[in-house]
Amino acid sequence: MKRREFLNLTMGALALAVVPASVRAEDYRKSKPTVWSAKTVDDAMKALYGTSTIIEKGVKVKAPKVASNGGAVPVNFSADMPIKSIAVFQDANPEAAVVVYEATKYSVNKYAIKIKMAKSGTITVAALGQDGKVYGAKVTLDVALGGCEG
Amino acid sequence: MKIKAKLKNGVVNVKALAKHGMTTYNMMEKKTGNRDDANFITHISATVNGETVWDASTSQFLSKNPIFKFAFKGIGAKGDKVEMTWVDRKGNTKSGKGKIK
Repeated sequence: MKRREFLNLTMGALALAVVPASVRAEDYRKSKPTVWSAKTVDDAMKALYGTSTIIEKGVKVKAPKVASNGGAVPVNFSADMPIKSIAVFQDANPEAAVVVYEATKYSVNKYAIKIKMAKSGTITVAALGQDGKVYGAKVTLDVALGGCEG
Repeated sequence: MKIKAKLKNGVVNVKALAKHGMTTYNMMEKKTGNRDDANFITHISATVNGETVWDASTSQFLSKNPIFKFAFKGIGAKGDKVEMTWVDRKGNTKSGKGKIK
């Protein structure tokens, strides 16, 4: 190997090693801003994954049938297959997107979070599989007392 | 930030509480008349030994003082620390650490 090539290679490797892990992860608010301003679940999913059709397989989502407090609706969700990312949407608030998780090689794809819902609605969880297909699941629930005043 | 992490059968389960008002645009419009006063966590991530194990981009629709539950495997032994950092819409950041038990 020529000396110059060797130098270039080492420099490249060094540059990669120096970037902290947190910077390498994708910030979906910066890379895909339209996801967060989309008003409907379909639009938000199209902005994120390029499609609004989901294969209803392998992804599970669990929420109470009746949520007493719309300010904190517990949502549990998981994915069975290897995924690149997983996102939560709902249709009760002015905008649809709630959260996008980026899966890492260490991820066990089991998550729980509490979300706000202004009124009764449907929660959609969509996951981008490593095969490039979009999997998902939906759950509809009643909200007794709306949270976050819309 | 409060972080609890527990190692069981090779999987580390994490429960983390981020103290934050998580105000929405509509809430602040009612309160102060200015939608731009809304402030919420926009990005939060967790690392173990310098490796990112969990990473989330979030919106205003998480509950107030949101609790995140997630799990990871293949990294982290008892006594290692889970470090988490969030950034909010106004650019504030906060970090916390929790030991894996």
